[in-house]
Amino acid sequence: MSSQDTRSLWADAFSRLVKDRWALISLLVVVTYALVALMATLGIGMPDWRSSLGIEYLAPSGEFWFGTDLFGRDVFAKVIHGTKIAMSVGLITSLIAIPIGVVIGALAGYFGGWVDDIISWFITTFSSIPNIMLLISITLIMGKGLLSVYLALGMTGWVGLARLIRGEVMKHKEREYVQAASALGGGHYRKLFVHILPNVTHLVIINTSLQFQTAIKSEVILSYLGLGVQGEPSWGTMIDDARMELARGVWWQLAGATLAMFIIVLAFNILGDALRDALDPKLKGK
Amino acid sequence: MLFATLLIQNSKGSDMESPLLSIKNLTVDFKTTDSEMRAVDNISFDVPMGKTVGIVGESGSGKSVTSLAVMRLLPQPPAHITGEILFQGKNLLGLPEDEMRKIRGNNISMIFQEPMTSLNPVFKTGAQVAETLMLHRGMDKKTAWEKTIDLFNEVGIPNPSQKVHAYPHEMSGGQKQRVMIAMAIACDPKLLICDEPTTALDVTIQKQVLELLAKLQQEHKMSMLFITHDLGVIADIADDVVVMYRSKMVEKDKTRSIFETSHHPYTKGLIACRPDLGANPKRLLTVSDFMDEEGKGLMVTRERIQVFEKDYAAKNSNEVLLEINDLHTHFPIKGGFLGRQVGEVKAVDGVSFKLQRGKTLGLVGESGCGKTTLGRSILRLVEPTSGQIIYNGQDITKLAAPDMRLLRRKMQIIFQDPYSSLNPRMTVGEILTEPLVVHGLGGSKREQLDAAKMLMEKVGMKANQLNRYPHEFSGGQRQRICIARALMLRPEFVICDESVSALDVSIQAQVLNLLLDLQEEFKLTYIFISHDLSVVNFIADEVGVMNKGKLVELDRADRIYKQPREDYTKTLLGAIPKGLPKNLESFINS
Repeated sequence: MSSQDTRSLWADAFSRLVKDRWALISLLVVVTYALVALMATLGIGMPDWRSSLGIEYLAPSGEFWFGTDLFGRDVFAKVIHGTKIAMSVGLITSLIAIPIGVVIGALAGYFGGWVDDIISWFITTFSSIPNIMLLISITLIMGKGLLSVYLALGMTGWVGLARLIRGEVMKHKEREYVQAASALGGGHYRKLFVHILPNVTHLVIINTSLQFQTAIKSEVILSYLGLGVQGEPSWGTMIDDARMELARGVWWQLAGATLAMFIIVLAFNILGDALRDALDPKLKGK
Repeated sequence: MLFATLLIQNSKGSDMESPLLSIKNLTVDFKTTDSEMRAVDNISFDVPMGKTVGIVGESGSGKSVTSLAVMRLLPQPPAHITGEILFQGKNLLGLPEDEMRKIRGNNISMIFQEPMTSLNPVFKTGAQVAETLMLHRGMDKKTAWEKTIDLFNEVGIPNPSQKVHAYPHEMSGGQKQRVMIAMAIACDPKLLICDEPTTALDVTIQKQVLELLAKLQQEHKMSMLFITHDLGVIADIADDVVVMYRSKMVEKDKTRSIFETSHHPYTKGLIACRPDLGANPKRLLTVSDFMDEEGKGLMVTRERIQVFEKDYAAKNSNEVLLEINDLHTHFPIKGGFLGRQVGEVKAVDGVSFKLQRGKTLGLVGESGCGKTTLGRSILRLVEPTSGQIIYNGQDITKLAAPDMRLLRRKMQIIFQDPYSSLNPRMTVGEILTEPLVVHGLGGSKREQLDAAKMLMEKVGMKANQLNRYPHEFSGGQRQRICIARALMLRPEFVICDESVSALDVSIQAQVLNLLLDLQEEFKLTYIFISHDLSVVNFIADEVGVMNKGKLVELDRADRIYKQPREDYTKTLLGAIPKGLPKNLESFINS
C-alpha cells in the first residue's frame, strides 16, 4: 500500500470486481437488459409487438430474428417486451422485499429478546409454507395481473434476507467497535444505522442480485400457470403459448423466451458469486 | 594447549556435522499480478539433533512463513521458494507431494497458535488423534484408541480414558493445546515445529505447556523449531535463537549469548522492551532507542535507561475518583425448554475498592476471572446486578440513560483487539470526530477535524492520515487510533482492557510509554486490565488480583510483587517466563 492513495473498502471491492472477466461480462449483460427494459418502458426505438407484421409462424430470418407467432407478430419484439416485464418484476419486488427484510432482520438481531422471539417465529412460520403455494394463493386473492405478481413476490422475498441480516447484525453487535460507540455515548440509532448497517450492506447487494433472478423465474412460473401477466407477452406466457406450437415444429417462441431468461439468470448468478468474493470483508483487515 | 584447542574444535565440528534440519539460503517471495513481496530473505540456519531452535521476530517478520516453508504448506504460486531445506540430508523442496505427505505429520509435526480453531469441532478430540495414528502408523482402530489414551496421559490431560470422548468445546484452551501436542507427537516425529503455541494462553497455562514441551522433547529426543514474538518464552526453552527482522535474519547465536552479548541493535531493543518484574524504569526502552528507521544502530545513553524507584507517595491525593462497593454482575444461564433460566454465572462477585484521582489501578487474573466484566460493569456497558458505583461522589449505578450519556464524556474505554474495535467502513477522521458529533461538541466540522489532527499527533501518528481507512494501518497504529478516539472527549478516567495484549512486545512497549505520557499530560486516571503481570507492574500504582469474580488481593504494586500474601498471586507470579538479563546497564556499551 503506497503512502498517499487511500481507498475505502467499497473502492477496493469494485476494483476487485472489474478484474474478474466473467463478472464484468455479467455486469454488462445485466446493464444491457436494464437499458432495453428502460427503453421499452419509455417506448424509444423498440420494435412493436402488437401489430401483425408478417404471416403466422414464420421461421427465424433476417427480418424476424426469432420468427413470428400465431398472429404473425414479431417474436423478438415479444421477447423484448418480456424483458421489460421481467426486469420490472425483479426491480419492484426487490424494492419491496429488501427494505422489509433489512428492517425486520436488523430489529430482530439488534434488540434480541422478545422482539427477536416474535420476529423469528414469524420468519420461521412464513418460510415453512411452500413458496409457490403462497404465491398462488396471494394472486388468487388479489386477482390475476402484474400488480399481484409484484406484491406477491415482494411480500414473500424478504424472508431469506431478514434471516441473513438478523444473524449478521447479532455478530456485529458484539464487535468492539459497536461497544466503543456505546462507550462514547452513542444511542441505538447511531449504533444500528451508522455502525452496524454499513457493515452488512454488502450482504444486501449480494442478496439483491440473487433475489432479482429468483423473482424473474417466479414471474415466469406464475405467468406460465396463467396467474401472472394478462394480455401482454411475458417470457412465461410465451413458454405457455409454445406448449401447443411445439407439436407443429414451431420452436422459436420457446427458444427466444428461454434463451433470454437463461442469459439473465446466468449473468445474475455469476455476478452474485463475484460480488460475494469482491465484497467479503473477511479477507480484509488482517 | 594447542592440542586441546584442536580437540575442542574437533568435537564441535562433529557435533555440527549432521543437523536434523538445515536451511540454506531460503528465500520466499509472494507474487501476485500487481505486487511482489519478499517474505523471507536469504536465511540459513541449522536445527541440530535433539536441540531447540527459537525464531523470534515481530508479526510480519517472516518467521511463520519460514516454518510453513519447511512443512511445504505454502501454496505455490503465489509463493515462490528458492534455496534448500535439508531434512536428514534430503532436500524437502525437491520432493514430490506424495512423499512430502508421508514426512508431514510423521517425521515433522506442527503445533499452531490457536488451539480453538486447530481442532475440528464436530469430532471427538480422541478420534482426531487416533485418526493420525491410523493414517501414518497403519494401526487398527482399537490399538489407535489405546495409544491415544496413553498419549492423553502423557501430555497431562486428567482422566484420559474419559477425555478422549470429549468434544473440543468441552475442553479448556490449555487442554486443547495439549490435545494438539498429543496429535503432534503421536507418530514420534523427529522435528516438532511450534508456531506461537502459547501466545493465546494464560500465563499459568503457558508455563505448564512450555514445561510439557521441554519434557516431551527430552523423552522423545526430538528437535524443536520454536517460533514466538516473545523473547521471554524463548529464553526458557531454546538452545539457539534466530532473530528475524523485516524478512531478514539479523542474528543467530546460542540463547545465552543472545541475551548477554547480542550485537544487532534490533535484538537489543527486543530484549530491553519487555517490562521486567525486578526493575521499574520510568519509561520502557523500545527498539527505536537502539536503531533508527533505516536499521542503523544508535548509542543508548545512560539517561535513557535510568531506573526509577516509583514514588508511590507522589501521586497520593485524598480525592477518591471512583469507589466500588460490593459490586455483583451475574449472567443468567439459559437452558431447557423455552430458554428457562437454569442458573447463573457470577462473573463479578462482590468487588469493592477505591481509586484515587491520577492513579492507575492494575487488574490482573486469568481469562474468565471476571476482570473484563468488572471493567464493563463500571462503565455500565454491562448492567451490574447489585452493588454501588460511585464516580466523583455521585452514585451512577442507577443513573438514567441521558445523564449516563453526559457522564460518558468523562469515562472511556480502550479495547483489546485493535482489529475489531474500529469500524472498517469509516475513515479515521470519521472515527475520531464521532465522539464530538455524538455529544454535539467541538464546533464546526473543520474545528472537529483540527481536534482530531491534534490528537493524532499526540498519539504519534501523522495528521494527514485522517482520510485513510483502518485496514490501511498496522495493529500498533490502530491501537494508537483507538487511544486517540478515547481521548477525543477529554475524559478523566480511562479503562484499558487488555489494550496491549494483542500487540507484539516491541510495539507493546511503545504503546505503554504512550499511555504513561498521556496520563501525565491529560491527568488521567486508569484502570489497566491485563493478564500479563509484568506489564501491570510497569504501569500500575496499585494492583488488584482477581480470581473467580472476586478481588483476592489488592495492594500497592511493589508490595504485591515483593510480598504476595495469597497463594493464587504467588502462582501467577511464578508463571512469568524468566531468564532475561536483569541488568539494564548491559545495553550501554555496544
